[in-house]
Amino acid sequence: MYRYDEFDRDFVSARVAQFRDQVERRLSGDISEDAFKPLRLMNGVYLQLHAYMLRVAIPYGTLSSKQMRMLAHIARKYDRGYGHFTTRQNIQYNWPKLGDIPDILEDLAGVEMHAIQTSGNCIRNVTADHFAGAAADEVADPRPYAEILRQWSSLHPEFSFLPRKFKIAVTAAENDRAAIQVHDIGLQLKKNDEGQIGFAVWIGGGQGRTPMIAKKIKDFLPEADLLSYVTAIMRVYNLHGRRDNKYKARIKILVHETGTEELAAQIEAEWAHLRDGELRLPDADVARITDYFAAPDLPARAEGWAELAAWKKADSGFASWVTQNVRPHRHPDYGMVTISLKPIGGIPGDASDAQMDAVADLAEQYSADEIRVTHEQNLVLPHVALADLEPLYRALQAEGLATANSGLVTDIIACPGLDYCALANARSIPVAQEISERFGDQARQEEIGDLKIKISGCINACGHHHVGHIGILGVEKKGAELYQITLGGSADENTSIGEIVGRGFEPEKVTDAIETIVSTYLSGRSGTDEAFIDYYRRVGAAPFKEALYGDKAEAA
Amino acid sequence: MSTIVWNREGVVEDDRWATVEGESAFVSMDEALELAATGGREIGVLVEPADDPARLKPILDRLAIIALDFPAFNDGRAFSHAALLRDRLGYGGEIRGVGDVLLDQVPFMLRVGIDSVETAHEPTARRLTEMRLPGVDLHYQPAALKAEPTNTYSWRRRAAV
Ligand code: SF4
Repeated sequence: MYRYDEFDRDFVSARVAQFRDQVERRLSGDISEDAFKPLRLMNGVYLQLHAYMLRVAIPYGTLSSKQMRMLAHIARKYDRGYGHFTTRQNIQYNWPKLGDIPDILEDLAGVEMHAIQTSGNCIRNVTADHFAGAAADEVADPRPYAEILRQWSSLHPEFSFLPRKFKIAVTAAENDRAAIQVHDIGLQLKKNDEGQIGFAVWIGGGQGRTPMIAKKIKDFLPEADLLSYVTAIMRVYNLHGRRDNKYKARIKILVHETGTEELAAQIEAEWAHLRDGELRLPDADVARITDYFAAPDLPARAEGWAELAAWKKADSGFASWVTQNVRPHRHPDYGMVTISLKPIGGIPGDASDAQMDAVADLAEQYSADEIRVTHEQNLVLPHVALADLEPLYRALQAEGLATANSGLVTDIIACPGLDYCALANARSIPVAQEISERFGDQARQEEIGDLKIKISGCINACGHHHVGHIGILGVEKKGAELYQITLGGSADENTSIGEIVGRGFEPEKVTDAIETIVSTYLSGRSGTDEAFIDYYRRVGAAPFKEALYGDKAEAA
Repeated sequence: MSTIVWNREGVVEDDRWATVEGESAFVSMDEALELAATGGREIGVLVEPADDPARLKPILDRLAIIALDFPAFNDGRAFSHAALLRDRLGYGGEIRGVGDVLLDQVPFMLRVGIDSVETAHEPTARRLTEMRLPGVDLHYQPAALKAEPTNTYSWRRRAAV
C-alpha cells in the first residue's frame, strides 16, 4: 500500500489547517454560504436534507486495518455509529457537525486519509478495480497510476474550478470492474507488443440525465506521458466545457457537441506542447510508487484445497458463500473474498462501527492487512488463503456480514435518496429493502443468477441505474413518487445504457414489477447459463413490455 | 466598497490600472490588437473567459499588462489563460486577476502565473492587506510560479521562500 512520506503528511496537515481557517471565516460571516460552498465541497462537506454530510476519500478503494478502525472510530465519535460506503469508493458520514469536521479531518490525517476533492467541480477521488493487485487477469497493478493521478490532481491550481465535477477511473484487466466507460476519463492499462506499459484512453462517459458511453481517443498512451496527456484533456475541457448550463457542463457533452475526432485533435495539439515538458514521468518515480504496491508475501497454503472441498460438503450455506463471494486469486491457494454490505432487507452500503472494527481485525488476521471498497458498495478482503475461508466465514457470520449474494439480485446498489439527499425525488433505500426481502431466499437467488439492480432517487443517477441490468429511477409526478424501470444496462467492458421499458410504477408496485421481469426472464431463458443480461440482449424489451403492460404496452 | 490592488509585496497604492469609480483602464482584445497596430500609447488588455489569449502573441511585447477576468469566482477559465500566457506564449509582463476575486482563489492565481489581483470583496481585501494567504505551500504539480523541486517525485514542488 502507498504510505505517506513527510511531504504528504505536511501537505495534508496544511490542508486541514486551511479548512479550519475557512470554517472559522464561514462561522464569522467573512465568507458567504455561496462562496463557502465550493471550498467545503473540495473538502467533501455537503449540506444534506437534515445535516452536513462528510465524504471521505478511499483512494482507489484500498484501506489498511488501521485506516478501517479510524473510520469506525469516526462513526462512533462524530456520527450515529455507522458509515455509508458509496458507489465511488468513498465513505459518507451523514450526521457530523460542521464545527467538528476539522477535528475529523485531523483524525483522518493521522492514518493518512483525507476528504480532499471528494466533491465539487474538481478532479474527484480516482477509482480503480477493487481486485487490483490480486486478480489473475490484470496486466499490472493499476493503483500506482491512480496514486500518481491522485497526487497530481490534489489542489491543482489550474483545475480546481472546472465547469463540473470530473471523475477518473483506472482498470488493468480486459474484464472491466472499474466501469471506466462511464467516467469522464477511463484508463485501461495495457502492454504493447514490446511489453511496455501504457493506457488506452477513453473520455466522455457519464451518467446523470444524459447518460453516455465513453469514446476511445487513444489506443496506447505510453506510461511516461500519463500526466501530460491528462493535463491536455483537462485544459481543453476547462477552456471549452460549457458553463452556461450545469446539466450540459460535463465533458461528455463537450465530446458530443464537438465530435470525438475534433476534440481528440484539439487534445492532441495541446499535448504536443506539453509532452516533453516537466510532466513527463521518469521511470524511477513510477518504479518507486509501484514498489509501495508490491504484492504481500503469500506463503503456499495448498492444504486449503482439500479442506475447502470438505467444508463445502458439510455446510451448504458455506458452499453458497464460497460460490458467490469468493473469486480466484492469482495465487492458486488464495481467494478474493467479497464481504457483502447487502444483508437481506438491509441498507445497501451501510456498516456499523462494530462491523468496521470486525472487518479490520479479520483483514489483519486473514488478508495481509488489506481491505478494498468496491463501487458496488461492498468490501473485499483481497488475499485470503483457501485454508482460512471457513474460520473467516464463521467470524463474518457472527457480525452479520456473511450474506452470500455477491452479484445476485439482492446485491442492490442504491443511492441515499429521499431519506438523506436534498436533491432526491423519491426514496431509494426502502425500495431496495423491499426487493431484497422479496428475493431473499438463497435458493431462489441462485436460480436467478447474475442480476444487477441499481436504484437512483433522481436523475443525477448516483445509484447508477442507467447501467443496471435492471435500473430503477425515482421520479416525481404530480407530487407523488413514481419509479421508472430501465432494462439492459451494463457497466463492464460491454457497457450499455439501459432502455426505459414503459410508464413508471407507484412505490407499492415496484417490487411486483421486478418480480414480473424476473419471471419473464426465467421462463424465457435458454438455460441456466444464459444470464439475464444475455437474455435481454438476445430478445430485447418486447417480452418484458408484454408481461408488464399487456396490450397497453407503450412508452411512458 | 473600496477596491484594492494587491501583489505579493502588498497593497499597491495609486495603481495606473486600477478600476476607478467603476471605470476600467483596460481595453478588449480586439481594441488592443488595433491599438498595437496604430502606435504609441500603453496598452492594458482585458482577456475575457471566452477569449483565446493566443491571439495576443504578435503584440505581447507591446502590452503593459494583461488582466484576466473572473466574472464569477467559480469560472476557472482564466487559470488556464494564465498558464498558457506564461508557459506557452512566454509572456513575462504583469498579469492581473480582476472581477470576482476571492481570498481562497488567490493562492491558485499566483501559482498559475498571475502577479496581482484587484478585489472589491472586503474580507478578501482585509486578509490580503494583512498578508495572510490561505494557501498550502506544498504542491503536487509544477506550475508557472517558480517553486523548488523536492527530492521526492518529479511532479512535486515546494513554494520558493
Ligand atoms: S441520485 Fe439523486 S437522490 Fe440519489 S443521491 Fe444522487 S442526487 Fe441524491
